[in-house]
Amino acid sequence: MDRRPLATTVFLSPALLLIGLFVLVPMVLTFWISLHSGGMATPLSDMPWVGLQNFRDVFASPTHQQAFINTGIYVAISLVITVPLALVIGMLVYQPRLRGSALLRTILFAAYVIPTVAIVIVWSQLYSPQYGPIDTALHGLGLPSPAWLSDPNSALISLVIFNVWQMLGYYVVLLVAGLTQIPADVHEAALLDGAGTIREAFSVTIPLLKNSLVFVALMTVINSIQVFDPVYLLTQGGPANSTLSVSFDIQRTVVQYGLAGQASAMAASMLVLIMIIGGAIAVVLRRRSA
Amino acid sequence: MQGWRKRRGLVAAGAVGAALSLALTACSGGGSGSSANGNVTLTYLTHWGPDQVKQLQTVASAFHSKNPKVTIKVQAVPFANLLSTLQTQGSSPTGPTIASIYDLWLPGLIKSGALAKAPSDVASSVKSDWPSNLADDVSSNGDVYGVPNEVDLYALNYNKALFAKAGIANPPTTWDELKADAKKLTDKSAGQQGFGLITNWAAGAVHPFLSLAASNGGSFLKPDKSAADLTSSNDEAAADLYAQLVKDGSTVPSMSAANADTTGPYLDNFANGKTGMIIMANWWESALKKTMGAKASDIATAPVPVGPDGQKSSSISYSWLTVVNGHATSDTQKAAWSFLQFLNGPTSGKTGSSAMGDMLMDQGILPSRTSDLTAHQTELSDPFIKTYVDELPNATPFPVTAGGAQASDALQTHVENLIFGRESPSKAMSGAETEVNAALKAAQ
Repeated sequence: MDRRPLATTVFLSPALLLIGLFVLVPMVLTFWISLHSGGMATPLSDMPWVGLQNFRDVFASPTHQQAFINTGIYVAISLVITVPLALVIGMLVYQPRLRGSALLRTILFAAYVIPTVAIVIVWSQLYSPQYGPIDTALHGLGLPSPAWLSDPNSALISLVIFNVWQMLGYYVVLLVAGLTQIPADVHEAALLDGAGTIREAFSVTIPLLKNSLVFVALMTVINSIQVFDPVYLLTQGGPANSTLSVSFDIQRTVVQYGLAGQASAMAASMLVLIMIIGGAIAVVLRRRSA
Repeated sequence: MQGWRKRRGLVAAGAVGAALSLALTACSGGGSGSSANGNVTLTYLTHWGPDQVKQLQTVASAFHSKNPKVTIKVQAVPFANLLSTLQTQGSSPTGPTIASIYDLWLPGLIKSGALAKAPSDVASSVKSDWPSNLADDVSSNGDVYGVPNEVDLYALNYNKALFAKAGIANPPTTWDELKADAKKLTDKSAGQQGFGLITNWAAGAVHPFLSLAASNGGSFLKPDKSAADLTSSNDEAAADLYAQLVKDGSTVPSMSAANADTTGPYLDNFANGKTGMIIMANWWESALKKTMGAKASDIATAPVPVGPDGQKSSSISYSWLTVVNGHATSDTQKAAWSFLQFLNGPTSGKTGSSAMGDMLMDQGILPSRTSDLTAHQTELSDPFIKTYVDELPNATPFPVTAGGAQASDALQTHVENLIFGRESPSKAMSGAETEVNAALKAAQ
């Protein structure tokens, strides 16, 4: 039992104040603005009430619908590729007999710490249909090359590849940390019981790595849902809105179109969606644990 | 023990206080404003490159020598960040005092109260020293809100060397000639397309399309700007033209992409002789010269080809203007308008031109002030730019109206769907019209 509630409150209050000021207040304001109309520079007191009209406009607009669909596809593909790939690489890198595993982990993690702007510039050249080394290599092998960012059928997957490349090292490091938590005698017991490498991986390692895998999956979803930089720097949502993401759509709606109400409605909808997805994952996990 | 706890508490309080002070300092805004002794500091926000920023600083220094109490700083941001910088910083009295903006942004900025009305002397000067359609462009309900600077329009840019190789003597003047020439200029094995289009960039996708539509008697919006006019037969014909060019293989959609800075594969393909013709604006001359070097002399310009229902070639035109922060103090606003009068006046540049006119001509961009067009008559006779100058009287201004930016993006989406074969011409135009109308309504 806490015998010093006053001291606890006093020492927690600076952090709570900052969280309240910079997290809760903007969230509440966003919901408030979503029920009003106005631009970025319109004083809050001058914004007229429109109720749920902004939400109706957002969900009726083919462009905004496309943004939600694109973001959903981006998240799903990122999740399906990133988590298994990070797991495989993490398990390979964690091999005790592997020389240079620390260097390999450093190289993998380097992509995560380099500023996105710099990486985007490099990838725009990699994807270049005229000068890009990827296309040059494919043509050298006699293979056809997609148009990458220049074709609506391949632009979104091109951004997914970029995202996986950038984030993989971070998730590998997280999973390696999780692997270090598995006691060595568990692996020894499995070996003694006659389990092969693959059987051990599926029956012992992966189940014991569950918490780390869930965390990596959640981080992938949260990171992917917020995709903005590569869209803003590489494609501006095109071609033909094929890479339009919710974050970029929000930015464009409030800055270019001056519709802060609609942009806030999209942000509020996104928050509710993330809470539903997070809640669903938590419920499924709780049921499995039970 | 108690002494240590007391020290920890003091340290914690000190840390919170320092953090709050830093936060308050960071939130204190930019460097514009007036001080108690009457000195005024102005910030000029632009998207221009380093060379033009230096030129602006030179003009600012010249103004400062005549007006010692006024100091001007130039703040440059990439084009893609210009509007967002203005939106986030422009609502503060200490935000950018003067900004160079695209005319399409004007209605939204006026509505948000971000802009100052021009004083009567500046307004009179704008109305008398600029063509009336440009003076109208910078006005709302009869009030002038800025000083026009550049005007941009479109023309057919073509590669004379490729034309000669294909045995074509002259650039096309009609849509039928355009289709025929584009076919002759297409060489799949060499990765060469006859006619290039632009995607991933609203102006690049929309303006050439609307220029062709205008050259066929069509228009983007109805005359009162209340609704779209994209399902007219004149506009649908332009959509059919695009579909036909793609179907013939004369336009390769994957060669059309633009980057966020408006360069990219579409420019590289034209500069490297992989595209025979493209409709583009006058301002890209400097980008072409930089990319092509000596081979830039292969490029020539001609009016936009006329459609079967059109009477004459008509390019879409748009303009830029400089505006003043409506939240700045009255002293700061007064100094800002005074500087703009100087920058755009006939005494700040060479041989009767304004300094703004000189800077624009350096970049191959058309000035809009009447006296600047006269002062630069010789340079404007350059074969590349002459087409644009000659076509200026026939140009159709892109409508400046609330919701214009969203309407333009809506049309861009459907034009790109058309280019990539995702929509038929009629579906693209009807889809665009529905979304454009929704955008215009949302902005009211």
